[in-house]
Amino acid sequence: MSNITDEGDVSGSDTAQKAPGNSSVADMQISVKRWLVKTSRNPFVTFSSLIQPVIFFVLMAEVLGAIVSGALAQTVGSDINYITYLTPAIVIQSALAAAAVSGIGLVDDMDTGMFEKLLASPMDRGAMFLGKVLSEVVRIVVQTTIILLLGYVMLYLQSGASVGSYLRTGLLGFIGVIAIAVIFGGAFMAFSNIVALVTHDQEATTMIANLLTFPLLFISSAFVPLEVLPGWIQSVAVVNPITYGVDGVRAFMLGQNVMTVFYVTAFSGLWNTVIPSVAVLIGFNVVLGGFAVHLLNRASKAKVQ
Amino acid sequence: MQVDRVRQPNEEQLAIDAADIHVTYADGTEAVRGVDLTVEKGEFFGFLGPNGAGKTTTIKTLVTLLHPNHGSVTINGYDVETEPQAVSESIGYMAQETSVDEELTARENIQFACKVYGVPASEQDERIEKLLDLVGLTDVADKRAENYSGGMKKRLDAATVLVHRPPLVFLDEPTTGLDPEARMRLWNYFEQLNEHGTTVFLTTQYLEEVDRLCDRLSVIQDGKIIATDTPDALKSAVGGDILDLALEDSSRQETERAIEVVRESDALEAATIETTDDGFTITAEDAREAVGDLFVALHKADVVVTGFDVRSPTLDDVFLTLTGESLEASNQDGANEQRVTVPEQEVAE
Repeated sequence: MSNITDEGDVSGSDTAQKAPGNSSVADMQISVKRWLVKTSRNPFVTFSSLIQPVIFFVLMAEVLGAIVSGALAQTVGSDINYITYLTPAIVIQSALAAAAVSGIGLVDDMDTGMFEKLLASPMDRGAMFLGKVLSEVVRIVVQTTIILLLGYVMLYLQSGASVGSYLRTGLLGFIGVIAIAVIFGGAFMAFSNIVALVTHDQEATTMIANLLTFPLLFISSAFVPLEVLPGWIQSVAVVNPITYGVDGVRAFMLGQNVMTVFYVTAFSGLWNTVIPSVAVLIGFNVVLGGFAVHLLNRASKAKVQ
Repeated sequence: MQVDRVRQPNEEQLAIDAADIHVTYADGTEAVRGVDLTVEKGEFFGFLGPNGAGKTTTIKTLVTLLHPNHGSVTINGYDVETEPQAVSESIGYMAQETSVDEELTARENIQFACKVYGVPASEQDERIEKLLDLVGLTDVADKRAENYSGGMKKRLDAATVLVHRPPLVFLDEPTTGLDPEARMRLWNYFEQLNEHGTTVFLTTQYLEEVDRLCDRLSVIQDGKIIATDTPDALKSAVGGDILDLALEDSSRQETERAIEVVRESDALEAATIETTDDGFTITAEDAREAVGDLFVALHKADVVVTGFDVRSPTLDDVFLTLTGESLEASNQDGANEQRVTVPEQEVAE
């Protein structure tokens, strides 16, 4: 009908009646890309969610390393260095730090009007949010890889140990560690978005994430074998998702069953830890994710009776 | 059960066809109480009303963001209830709140919008350049939007809603809070858009805006449309020209005496007279011609006139006539609005 390159390009009555739109997969890619670009614009955010775990890593290894070796010998084995034991805790801490700020992006989009703008666009809503989640998954994968490398460097400097004694299940273990970090992160992304949708406030979302991090980390199997901790901590640790994230990662690192909250013998070796841990984490994902999706649906729909 | 609608838009169809929309919020607020709208293709349609009149609620039902409790809405021939996807693909919507991703540059914002609306990759670069040029952001295209002024962000927002060349654009108070220059740039831009055939639906609380831009308008108050017509027709409904008189002694007694003098003189056929702070206002078909006679009559009666102004009715007079209150006053009630003085309209294209 009309020449696309003429001046009529600014308007559309005599050209397209309707935008072509995209498939859901394409919508998701568009959304992932937007969030990754936004993440790269704020290297400080990624940096700060890495720096705290790194500081913890170094301090804990130095301070606790000297006294925990006895407890390690009693529980997981005398040949295990505390740095190797600690790495899973730091992997999970960094995944938690990355996931816990997920809701901030959502609140930001609501504040700037981008949320509503996209709701009014033909973009597939599910794909729009899944894209955001995937960009955070990318971030967790990157952070986990960095922590794993750092852990080995620290171990090597201290004892000159081989990679094989650090990540005992090799490539499978590497993939397994990342998978558990991502599944664990999913539950906290959902949690962070729930807080964001309930409070509609960036500061509250950040604060609640920070407030929860430390108690949750310490009341778990993260830093010290649960067996040597007080009874009440052992009891709370059973319902703490961090326990399952850390135990799952640790099973891959050490290549053995390290489950500390209940004993499964249905599988063999490390799978006695990995399978129940993943099952519990998926449970957290389903419950928290379901609630987050419910709130998101409500926020996307009319606030009319 | 509804009768099947014609699914393909054709030339005769209306851009907007809304019948008896009611929207009640969960807290019981009846924001919209029976709004009917028909906007033809190619029209520049204004939706004028004070804060809280129901403008934004109405526009949100038209762009699929709100589901009305009652009523039907068809946009470009697509039903908002059953074909919301087709509706979103055939419109551009610029929300009242400036909606840009401030962490991205102008170019990236427009590019993102191109992708969201499925603009073919081969056309994207050219369209982005054209839109940047159109809204005057080419020089700062690669700077992040967080560094832009309010007016620049608005212009960027306007560019992003046009990437798919929609035949119908909704603009919700696009110039509220902008400085006069920024407002003028947007006005020029919207005029160009409409000249190229795009139907524009614009809500505003500025009379100057509808006066300058709109072919037709509806006036909304308390969730109901109280008049729909062309600006000129609405103005002529006010009942003639307006003569404002300021008196030296504007006490109530003296003002009433002066009004009595005006009524008793034979200068005016039929007139509406209202007192003002410093005198009174006469609205009459023949107000302009009667000025001389009125002054003579007032002078004879020893009424001292210190100022006068004869003018054609403005849309503010229309609003005053329709609602019994001035739009300016209504907006001031609405509080927290940044009022901006609008310059005289000598600034041309």
